[in-house]
Amino acid sequence: MSVLVASLAFGVISASVLAIASIGFTLQFAVTNVLNLAYAAVMTASAYVAYEVNQAGVVVWVSALVGAAVGATMSYLLNRVVYTPFQRRKASPITLVIVSLGMTLIIEFGTQAFVGGTNVSYTMANGPTLGVGSFVFTGAELGIVAVAVATMIAVHVLIRYTRLGKAMRAAAANRDLARVCGIRTARVVTVTWILSGAVCGLAGVVFGMNAGSFGATSTDIFVVLILAAVFLGGPGEPYGAMVGALVIGLGTEVSAAFIQPDYKDVIAFVILLVMLVARPTGLLGART
Amino acid sequence: MVYYLTTLLVYGGVDAVACLGLSQQFGYAGVTNFGYIIFQSVGAYVAAVLSLPPESANGGFQIYVGGLHLPWPLPWIGAAAAGALVAVPFTFILGKRLRGDFAAVGLLVTALMCNLLVTNFRPLFNGAAGLSLVPQPFSGEATPQGAAYAWAYSAGAVVLAAAVYFFLRRVVRSPYGRTLRAMRDNDAVADSLGANLRQLRTAQLVLGGAVAGLSGGVLVGFITLWDPQAWGYAETIVLFAAVIIGGVGNHKGAVLGAILVPLGFEEATRYIPAVGPPGFIPALQWVAIGLLIVLFLWWRPQGILPERRILLSRAARAGRAVRTADDRREPAPSAMAAGAEMPARSAPAGIAAWRRPGTAEAARRAPGPVLEAVELTRHFEGVHAVDGVSIAFPAGKLSGLIGPNGAGKSTLLAMLAGTLAPTSGIVRYLGEDVTAVPAYRRARMGLVRTFQLASEYKRLTVVENLLSAVPEQRGNSFRGALAGPRYWREQEEAHIARAEALIDQFGLSKLADAYGGELSGGQRRLVEIMRALMAEPTVLLLDEPMAGVHPHLAREIGSQLLGLLGQGLSIVMVEHELAIMDEFADPIFVMADGRLLAEGTMSQLRQRSEVVEAYLVG
Repeated sequence: MSVLVASLAFGVISASVLAIASIGFTLQFAVTNVLNLAYAAVMTASAYVAYEVNQAGVVVWVSALVGAAVGATMSYLLNRVVYTPFQRRKASPITLVIVSLGMTLIIEFGTQAFVGGTNVSYTMANGPTLGVGSFVFTGAELGIVAVAVATMIAVHVLIRYTRLGKAMRAAAANRDLARVCGIRTARVVTVTWILSGAVCGLAGVVFGMNAGSFGATSTDIFVVLILAAVFLGGPGEPYGAMVGALVIGLGTEVSAAFIQPDYKDVIAFVILLVMLVARPTGLLGART
Repeated sequence: MVYYLTTLLVYGGVDAVACLGLSQQFGYAGVTNFGYIIFQSVGAYVAAVLSLPPESANGGFQIYVGGLHLPWPLPWIGAAAAGALVAVPFTFILGKRLRGDFAAVGLLVTALMCNLLVTNFRPLFNGAAGLSLVPQPFSGEATPQGAAYAWAYSAGAVVLAAAVYFFLRRVVRSPYGRTLRAMRDNDAVADSLGANLRQLRTAQLVLGGAVAGLSGGVLVGFITLWDPQAWGYAETIVLFAAVIIGGVGNHKGAVLGAILVPLGFEEATRYIPAVGPPGFIPALQWVAIGLLIVLFLWWRPQGILPERRILLSRAARAGRAVRTADDRREPAPSAMAAGAEMPARSAPAGIAAWRRPGTAEAARRAPGPVLEAVELTRHFEGVHAVDGVSIAFPAGKLSGLIGPNGAGKSTLLAMLAGTLAPTSGIVRYLGEDVTAVPAYRRARMGLVRTFQLASEYKRLTVVENLLSAVPEQRGNSFRGALAGPRYWREQEEAHIARAEALIDQFGLSKLADAYGGELSGGQRRLVEIMRALMAEPTVLLLDEPMAGVHPHLAREIGSQLLGLLGQGLSIVMVEHELAIMDEFADPIFVMADGRLLAEGTMSQLRQRSEVVEAYLVG
């Protein structure tokens, strides 16, 4: 019983980290139609900058804001300097995936060249704790869950109740039509990359906090979890990504209690492959 | 020094073989296999466990399946076979009609998962530690430590790479290779013209898998160890980088890429002084590969050695007037000029190149409609694009299909041709229910369509575009390709002559060797009509064939098509230009809001108020 409680609790934390990451990824895809596989590399790079700030004596949550800023900047540049020029040339989606893999190598190993191959950890104060049954959430873990909830609410408010959100949905549905309707799609796309980039950077810091220690290549597998969550809910569907993250996060952690933990990510792999083959529009996505 | 040189040669040979397999899949067939490294790895593992003695023999420090201790060349053969076998389940991902980037991600993820499983599941191939002490070929008879052995091994690797190169060249320089490139350029169109996509992709995955497996087997026989770190996802990207940089759609480019990227990078970093912290240079190496990919895709997407244009026209082959792409662009005759070159009156026989003796005869003799839709319906997320349409298209006529935008004309056409599955209803062709018959097979039965949007194969020449549609080509199968030019050359020449006759009639002779992607909009439409005729249709479904074509030429083509009707061809044409319809089409069917509104001749239809209204309102 206590194993189940613990694995559920870990699942909630994993799902929170994953939800933040997946929302950013899916927003990028929705508005720009780019499967940005370099997303996880940007996460790590942001997490590293936040680490440096953290080492300089800044509280980890403030460092996280710095990480978000770095993620926003990098994502903005990535779109502006790389993806948009390729899209203007009408490069095929497959070319963009290859480009994004190239960018993954550049960012991931660029980070490694700077910081070396060793793993690092944030310095975190022991905040308040919360006991649920036999499981005790640490302050950091509570913070992660709170950040995830806050991010989800913020995205919900953004896309439902703001002009920008409406414009984003319009641009996602049909960019050309949105443009002739007077929406400045180029600006919407840029803002989307900045916002989703901030979410991405935040996800990187949160990932690092949850992982305990992280290195430049730590997110290689995590990107699959993101993809699984995104495709489970339907690519480009923010609410789908939230649900997907919950299912994948809980699924991997709970299954880890019953099978060998080494294989826990395989669940996510299998879900992703099944979704890709059987229903690439996702559970919440449109039926084709 | 000897050791260094021979190692270089072996790596070069192995990398070349691996890149050739990827070039075959990615460069020629358009199959973006991001899981490619799995196949090399499987080959290496299988060759290892086939060479290794039973695991009890080495003190049990490593565990694995197999351990058959087989003599050379069985491990290598086993490696190739394993690569081919592992490719089969992959066809489930690539066989589906999936967005290219989604399928690619699926394969990338599969590669990551396989690595994870092999790393964590020790009984299979000794888990994370990997296999080592793999016996080298002839290790019983020869001394693998000696220089002679190293030289022999490197010679073997190079010879093997050459053999694979010539083998794959034979495959791609055949009508079969042309079909692969057609599929790469536009798979939906290839499907509509009789190419069995699933079969083609499966064959390419298996072929590439065997080649990759072989490369793994050769590699492990030399380095004697193999572990999960040797095949991370990044290794696949390295091979892609090699093919992209060397040249996409050119096997020579793949070999060059293999020498430049995997080999060149390993060697270049050897001579860079070790600066920075440990791991600094290897990390930069990866950054450089990433940069190379992005920069090449931007500045030179065709690679160092671009795909070679295959010149098949008389003019080019006679060696005269071989024009460069530059001066071709200047005097490129517009569709209008081309129209002027056409014979004033079409020959009584109509378009000479069309022939379909068998089914066309049957169609003429068979009573009743040649093509029939019964209560055909298609919904898109609640939108009733086509809603219970029943139409019978008569034999030997040019039937017109008109209606305002969004009436469901193209959707109906797509369902008739099989490119789109109906939600409900039946399609009958020559009296036979073909609703469940896939598009490529309907095309082979003589039911051929064209597309509303230009759908030429961009990197096939005009002649090749036409040839790609010819049914029953001897060289258009893997086996036919392997049989070599002697087997298919003669028939191919006849097809080329037919294609050129058609191109002459459509006034595009000067552009016979131009790439599809270099043509103007109107010229593309012409190529498409010609290509459809080369497919020897019994029923031809034309979706706005005259859009963008000069009216003069459109008229000319219309009368040519009318000439074919007498020979047993039946045509269904969607067209917005009512004047054209008035002149050539009889009967005419009017659609609006997914339903059939009326039918009759144009003058009859003009009397009907609901038809006029549909046009005005729609």
